Amino acid sequence: MLRERGPEVALARELTPGQKRVTPASVVADLAILAWFVFSLFPLVWMVLLALKNDADQTSTYFRFSPTTANFGTVLSQRGQDLTSVDFGQAMLTSVLNCAGAVLVSLVVGIPAAYAAGRWKFKGSEDLMFQMLSFRFAPELMVIVPLFVIYNTLGVFDTKLGMVWVLQLVTMPLVVWILRSYFQDLSPELEQAALLDGYTRRRAFLTVALPLVRPGIAAAALLAFIFAWNNYLFPLILTDSAATTVTVAVTKYLGGGGQAYYNLTAAAALLGALPPLVLALTIQRYLVRGLSFGAVKA
Amino acid sequence: MSTTTLGTTAKSLVLESLHKRYESRGREPFHAVKGIDLHIEPGELVALLGPSGCGKTTTLRMIAGLETVTSGDIRIGDRSIPDLPPGKRDVGVGFESYALYPPLDVRGNLTYGLRARGVKDADTRVRAIAERLEMTDLLGLRPAGLSSGQKQRVALARALVRNPPVLLLDEPLSHLDAAQRQRVRRELKVLQREFGYTTIVVTHDQLEALSLADRLAVMDAGIIQQFGTADEIFDDPANRFVADFVGEPKINLAEGVVERTGVVRVGRDGALATASRAPAGTAVTVGVRPQDARVAVGEEPSVPGEVVVYEDLLEFGLATVRVEGLDASLVVQTPADVRWRRGDAVRLAAPPQRVYLFEPEGGARLR
Repeated sequence: MLRERGPEVALARELTPGQKRVTPASVVADLAILAWFVFSLFPLVWMVLLALKNDADQTSTYFRFSPTTANFGTVLSQRGQDLTSVDFGQAMLTSVLNCAGAVLVSLVVGIPAAYAAGRWKFKGSEDLMFQMLSFRFAPELMVIVPLFVIYNTLGVFDTKLGMVWVLQLVTMPLVVWILRSYFQDLSPELEQAALLDGYTRRRAFLTVALPLVRPGIAAAALLAFIFAWNNYLFPLILTDSAATTVTVAVTKYLGGGGQAYYNLTAAAALLGALPPLVLALTIQRYLVRGLSFGAVKA
Repeated sequence: MSTTTLGTTAKSLVLESLHKRYESRGREPFHAVKGIDLHIEPGELVALLGPSGCGKTTTLRMIAGLETVTSGDIRIGDRSIPDLPPGKRDVGVGFESYALYPPLDVRGNLTYGLRARGVKDADTRVRAIAERLEMTDLLGLRPAGLSSGQKQRVALARALVRNPPVLLLDEPLSHLDAAQRQRVRRELKVLQREFGYTTIVVTHDQLEALSLADRLAVMDAGIIQQFGTADEIFDDPANRFVADFVGEPKINLAEGVVERTGVVRVGRDGALATASRAPAGTAVTVGVRPQDARVAVGEEPSVPGEVVVYEDLLEFGLATVRVEGLDASLVVQTPADVRWRRGDAVRLAAPPQRVYLFEPEGGARLR
């Protein structure tokens, strides 16, 4: 790792003096980037501020107020539950279970699928891959009504099993497409060497190919988890209370018909964003490589 | 000697009308290997030499079991292997990309295959092969930390450590620089002799093939064009492809007509004596190697021309001679002690048995 990084460090050192040169164009570019950052981060800043406001300040637009952290406590306490009829902590747990389940299913089925699609061209392999991607073309809204009917008929409405089932529609294509490119980057001669060494195809896959795509698996799993976590429409329509998720629970504070608690909504949203954020920070290193799709070097 | 742990009983390798045809829906079927017959003696080293796409690697992969055999048979000793999985065929393969397992160190790479077979004295064997290949200091390193020469050595050790009676090497020297290439070439040859493996080396590099192999199989378009010793192939090429592909500098090829049996017309005023019995009037392609062309003496049939370029390459010279009535110039390899000059008028001739005639279409040799 260190060795690989060596030349880049040297290169950066060489470039640094050059980058210090200030020209009118560079100033304009810097200002443009700054403006873009302010624009894109402002909603986030606003939300953080909102989450720290009292009930009295929640509809104000000034930045001057006495901050409080009580909202977070409210969301997680019995009072929050009384306001919305949703146990937010329970919803967090449900979300974690749903998403972990969907990611797990996607990995167990998706890794072998990605390997097969990356290694062999078989009849219809490209069509299959395209079809998998096409799950992501159509708006979820298009399939939600038939899904609702099916879920009610099969009795998986408002169950964790049902949520895992529908969320893996979101996560599976991601896992398969990312990992396929990882497997394609891997020299097939590695597994062939293992075959000649007397291993079976399965053992060659498990002991040679799989360990080498571990960064890809980490990245794909994380991305899939985030996508599943952020999904709103499926839990909104396909759950009621037992299997409801964070995304749905957050919106309850906007009060369907009753009073809207904007500060509590913001606090809940921030709490809801924590698990993916923590996950992303832990495996950030893999995430960048995962997004660059492949690039495993032996 | 550590031959007790490393020795093996060499076995013959026979390919019998071996075919490989790729057929996939909606695409032209591709006949990569069109009936190969090859009988390789126990302990012999044979080079499969040919341009890229000639089917040599496909042939190798069929022997290794990495490609299915469309039809035909492969036998190691008296065992037919096309239906066996790669691991049960008793072949060791050195891959072009080396294909070392990146997460394992060199020792791990070498023992990996032995573990799969449940070999008991794995450590002893690995130590013996590492000592023989003088790479004990590499055993603890990961492949990423090795030079390409060292990787090649480890890949070879991995193929050898299982003691396979048949060893297949795919372009073993292609990733090495010139100096390493020479050294590894010699090493390979010594090792192969010592261990006695029946070996096939696939290469597109004739120098590699000539230096390593006992016999060469020159392949093109899925067919073995000629199988023989280097001398046989160089001195008595079976057809125009072989004559053209083997030999450095390349053979001179020129259009000509047989004037009378034993003499062929080349260019406007030239003629060459040939050992071919082709009858008068036959249109032919004439082949003369630069090494065989020389200055004519006396009244023998000859080709007049003018030196347009002379390159002094120290050990020998190369003269490019323009001949009236020929599209291409002729190249002549001259001895080191003779210097030709640009503008010299020369009359060229060659020994009659070294003047090859080929059919203009197809390139079959006319003897």
